[in-house]
Amino acid sequence: MARPQPFPGLVLDGRLRAATVRPLARELLADHHPLGVSTGYMATRREDWATLVRRACAVSSFAVELSALSERELPGLLAFLAGRPRLPFNYLSVHAPTKGLRRPEGELVALLASLPGHVDAVVVHPDAIRHAEAWRPLSHRLVLENMDARKPVGQRPGQLAELFAVLPQAGFCLDVAHAAAVDPSMRLAHALLDAHGARLRQVHLSSLRRDRSSHVALTRRDEARFRPVLRRCPDVPWILEAPPPR
Amino acid sequence: MDPRGATAALTALQRLGARTGEGFPALAAARERTQRRLADACAALGDVDVDADVTVALMGSWGRRELTSGSDEDWLVVHRRPAGAPVRPGVQELSRVLRPPAGAQEIFNRAVAVQELVRFGLDADDNANMTQRLLFLLESVPLLGERAHRDAQRAILAAYLEGDRRDRRPPRFLLNDVVRYWRTIAVDFEGKARQGTRKWALRHAKLRTSRTILFAGGLLPILGCHHVVADEVLDFLLEAFSDPPTDRIARAFLEHDAADAGARTLGAYDRFLALVDDPARRARLESLDRGAALGDEVFVEARRLGREVQQGLLALLFEREPLRRLVRQYLVF
Repeated sequence: MARPQPFPGLVLDGRLRAATVRPLARELLADHHPLGVSTGYMATRREDWATLVRRACAVSSFAVELSALSERELPGLLAFLAGRPRLPFNYLSVHAPTKGLRRPEGELVALLASLPGHVDAVVVHPDAIRHAEAWRPLSHRLVLENMDARKPVGQRPGQLAELFAVLPQAGFCLDVAHAAAVDPSMRLAHALLDAHGARLRQVHLSSLRRDRSSHVALTRRDEARFRPVLRRCPDVPWILEAPPPR
Repeated sequence: MDPRGATAALTALQRLGARTGEGFPALAAARERTQRRLADACAALGDVDVDADVTVALMGSWGRRELTSGSDEDWLVVHRRPAGAPVRPGVQELSRVLRPPAGAQEIFNRAVAVQELVRFGLDADDNANMTQRLLFLLESVPLLGERAHRDAQRAILAAYLEGDRRDRRPPRFLLNDVVRYWRTIAVDFEGKARQGTRKWALRHAKLRTSRTILFAGGLLPILGCHHVVADEVLDFLLEAFSDPPTDRIARAFLEHDAADAGARTLGAYDRFLALVDDPARRARLESLDRGAALGDEVFVEARRLGREVQQGLLALLFEREPLRRLVRQYLVF
């Protein structure tokens, strides 16, 4: 009898090649490991999780963020992962829904808590949290992300500290573009690391459109601007929230 | 006033904590507990006779200064006499005070000569001999015979460095042996798992944390010899190995402008120590086999902490100069 495998394996329906990292033109990204992408930017294949994973693997098979940005995408993601696909990633995060939130908060948390054990982190926007204590079941898998200038909460160290006080096991995802949108001098990004760097689990990396409405590939200007902040984060996965820059 | 005066007496771990605000409470408590238990053990032994060329060394978590509630008591009597020669204190005398041997491998709780420990390679350098040699060098602390402990470490290092006379080069033979030991630990982990021995989850968690710290704590000072001329290598390594591995690692993070990553790395290790110091969570890990582990919250947390330790060390080795070049030059071939 075959021994049960506690960890995901190296192929997904026989077509993935493990240990992929697409050659990256930018030195900053090329020098970092592990690097991965969020499936959130692959809008045309939303909810086709096998295809999304294959596309993510084409960039990197070391880290990934499976993004269920709309609540209606979450059951499909749960079903996909419940099928025990043999994923190659060393680090796997899931981005919790931020849009179309219809379920009671406790029910959404229970769904997220039922994600299988090889999901390392569940990234949550602070503005999706109404009652912080309701998120305790996610324990150390809960990772809070700093918000951009359009969101009323979760931008600054003090705002996040209030949540961490209720959720002491939660980790932190530094979204560098969000911090830069609030404070282009990058002092806020450094302040977030000063205050919550010990909790840092991953980085979201991209640039923002000029109107700040969506993530775009990291620009050369932002690469230079973000470099000192990213130098403080060499040990955590960097998740690209837009296609890798060319 | 010398601004360094206030921090000169701090350990590297404390300096990293002061720089980043990370308290490392479990590591601090474990160091205090180790000091206390060392003093207690000395007191219990009373005025036992100790020959000048004999040391009684405690290994493992004692040597890392990381005693937790579940730590074993592994010790060796190391001497610089011919193999098998009588020494004071004797093993039976020590066994009356120190906890009786727990392991089945018969590696610890016995007397061993330095001349045996420096049989490098080939059949005589079996698993037990290599383990005794490298744990004595990389993670041991003297219970009795502090001077003899240093002299024995010096003799072992001198044997490693024999003929290795190049300036600003990591000593290749010692490096190879430390890497061999780490790989042996990893292979033996799988060997034990395939024998179906118990405690798979605890062994796995320790492989990713305390064993990794042991390896990195040996590797980093050896790579640090890149900054040292040949005549100074022995004293440089002897000095480095007198500190606990977590201090050697903290120092490397500080020296390579990676304090943030260092605080997260040793912070994760600190939380792992707190986890295994909790009898209920340690018992949980001890009870889990391979098939059940990933469904268990305690194991998943231990695994995450282990990965954070590993990721931090990899970032130090591969994203900071000159370590990145040294790893490329010396660590694979």
